[in-house]
Amino acid sequence: MSTHVLQTLTILGCASLLFTCGQDQPSAPALSFEEALQEQLILAEPGDLILIPAGTHELTRSLSLNVPGVTIRGEGIDTSILSFKNQIQGAEGLLVNADDFVIEDVAIEDTVGDALKINESNNITIRNVRTEWTGGALTSNGAYGIYPVQSSNILIEGAVAIGASDAGIYVGQSTRIIVRNSVAEYNVAGIEIENSTFADVHSNVATNNTGGILVFDLPNLPVQGGRNTRVFNNHIANNNTANFAPEGNIVGDVPAGTGLMILANDNIEVFGNQFTDNDSAQIIIVSYYITERPFEDPNYDPFPESIFIHDNQFDGGGETPDSEPLIALQQATQKAIPAVVWDGAAVPDKAPQQILCLADNGDLSFVNLDAGNEFAAPSFNIAPHACTLPELPEISLGSAK
Amino acid sequence: MTAPLLRTSLIGTAFVIFVSACSESTPHYYAAENPLRLSDWNLFTREGSNLVPNDASMVFRPANQLFSDYSQKLRTLWMPDDSQAHLVDEEIEYPVGTVISKTFYYPTDTDGHVLKQIDLAERQIDLSRNKIIETRLMVRRDASWDAFPYVWNEEETEAFLRIAGSSIPINLKSDTGDHDFVYFVPNENQCSGCHVTSHPAGDMHPLGAIATQLTAAFDYPKNNTELQIDKLVARGWLTKKTSGSSPVSWRDEAANLEARALSYLNIQCGHCHNPEGPADTSSLILDGSHKFLINMGVCKTPVAAGGGSGDMLYSIVPGAPDRSILLYRMRSSELDEMMPELGRSLIHSEGISLISRWIGQLPGSCS
Repeated sequence: MSTHVLQTLTILGCASLLFTCGQDQPSAPALSFEEALQEQLILAEPGDLILIPAGTHELTRSLSLNVPGVTIRGEGIDTSILSFKNQIQGAEGLLVNADDFVIEDVAIEDTVGDALKINESNNITIRNVRTEWTGGALTSNGAYGIYPVQSSNILIEGAVAIGASDAGIYVGQSTRIIVRNSVAEYNVAGIEIENSTFADVHSNVATNNTGGILVFDLPNLPVQGGRNTRVFNNHIANNNTANFAPEGNIVGDVPAGTGLMILANDNIEVFGNQFTDNDSAQIIIVSYYITERPFEDPNYDPFPESIFIHDNQFDGGGETPDSEPLIALQQATQKAIPAVVWDGAAVPDKAPQQILCLADNGDLSFVNLDAGNEFAAPSFNIAPHACTLPELPEISLGSAK
Repeated sequence: MTAPLLRTSLIGTAFVIFVSACSESTPHYYAAENPLRLSDWNLFTREGSNLVPNDASMVFRPANQLFSDYSQKLRTLWMPDDSQAHLVDEEIEYPVGTVISKTFYYPTDTDGHVLKQIDLAERQIDLSRNKIIETRLMVRRDASWDAFPYVWNEEETEAFLRIAGSSIPINLKSDTGDHDFVYFVPNENQCSGCHVTSHPAGDMHPLGAIATQLTAAFDYPKNNTELQIDKLVARGWLTKKTSGSSPVSWRDEAANLEARALSYLNIQCGHCHNPEGPADTSSLILDGSHKFLINMGVCKTPVAAGGGSGDMLYSIVPGAPDRSILLYRMRSSELDEMMPELGRSLIHSEGISLISRWIGQLPGSCS
């Protein structure tokens, strides 16, 4: 390009608005609340505190955070509300992929998919956070409310989770977990610990879900071998909401009226809980075979083992079961379903005491469904399970605050 | 909070830089800060109604392009003087200071309505018959690539940095009627959602200005006489070219159907669905590196598709596109079902037609 042309171009450029050299530059547009918030999340530096002011803030796109060491803080669970009822982009409300994350005193409502998803992150604190679908228990609601996955050192406390079409509080493929002092209601699963290790689930209220608390281990996932969970001092009541999970989903198999369900998980201690009026059964312990789903996974153990249930209080329940074998049992006995139901499926050489011990639960009713023999001879004899197992140690989190 | 601080410091810098931008003929590389205004990069000039890439840049076009709601794309590549890209393991490693831009726009009719057209492969943008939306930059800095979008103002006189992205309502006219949709300018985190192909600890990198995609002429597949990678070498921007041949263009009607389908899936899906990518948890591998057919989706059951499975059993059922989850998710516009998750609001009819034909003629069954 000749010098002359270059000069002409330069003059042209400077004369046109595109390259305004003077003071009349076009001005930048103002940012909306959600754009300003997302910008803060992107520009955040470790140690930053991002405040969500009081009010209901309408968002149309997913928020995301990739910077470690950030705290998001609102002014209260019913005060600072991020509402996604007009969401038009993104599969989550807030997606976090960042260590040392704290979120507190804020609500996330009506997301298309999951409300708060935390993926592959360490040292996570979720405190006084509400996730809710405000239209009630609908199949079209998002799957998970509070959803840490493939993460570690997770503290969830003071959370409120309402209306999830899968699980209100769901911790998957994770390790070192505490879920406490939280409320889960009108979800398919209230609180679910899945394919995870070393969890304490205590002092929560799980009520009006399809299933109150689930502890599952499933095949064909990148992380499995779920074990070492303590479920204690919870109030698990009236989890009788009809199952509204989308078809094909594993939680779609949970009968309405389930208090606590343990599926194929090992080393579980259940104590000090109050179980009230869960109308399929207060506690159901099953192998993966009960799902009748095929699996090909040589490393997967489909049987629950070392389940220790002691010092719990049981009131009512088992009146209107929502499961074919339980309905058949009720018809045969003309009685409410026992408080503790075990499908009876196990590795043949395992002693009953290696699988399930029941101690100090008051006047406890129990049934072994004999599922392995097509429910041919259910047994109500609790004696083989009158035993104890070593208590599990308390979970301590490394550096979660 | 850093945002206001950064803004303040940038305004100061922009003024100083600005003077130099007007006296320079090449694009300007910013080593650390991202200027608020696109014009500070000096990537384009305005000639009459045309937005023209800086002469020092090379306009390029990858052999296969990602579908982005039928937008047209003008891409430029620039490296600072005296710097050169190298081939490392047959891939182009760009020098610090490299600036890649991609400008998204739509043709308009005389009334200003936005039109659906296939890729026009233009080298400049006539603003009198196009609506310009955004310009995304990828900048090679000392530590890594950075990516961020600029959104054009209504007057089309300037584009402003919008690291949180933007949402722009569009009414697109086509032969089959009007499509009302929201065009999404991605935020910076969403940029890395595609451009970080190894999850979670990988680095950002270009997806279009790579060796395979540049081993093709600018207007490939129409002709393939002047390979863009040769032009890079001729400019002195690349030490030597790769030994690879041109990839199959999914648009090339004369090419093998399966090769076209795999090219299409690679460019649309492979940035996440690769063995290291964020979608590796699903074991669905669509970047062409699958070892077994099941990993390409043939008779593969879903892992965490949720409603995205459409009540179907397998990703791909040979001979049965209407029973294949992969196609179901391409056809969906539901946020929690559609694939790709990001980068489109509309469905890509031409892509669906290609993948449907390919699945339709696959032999075998899943039972």
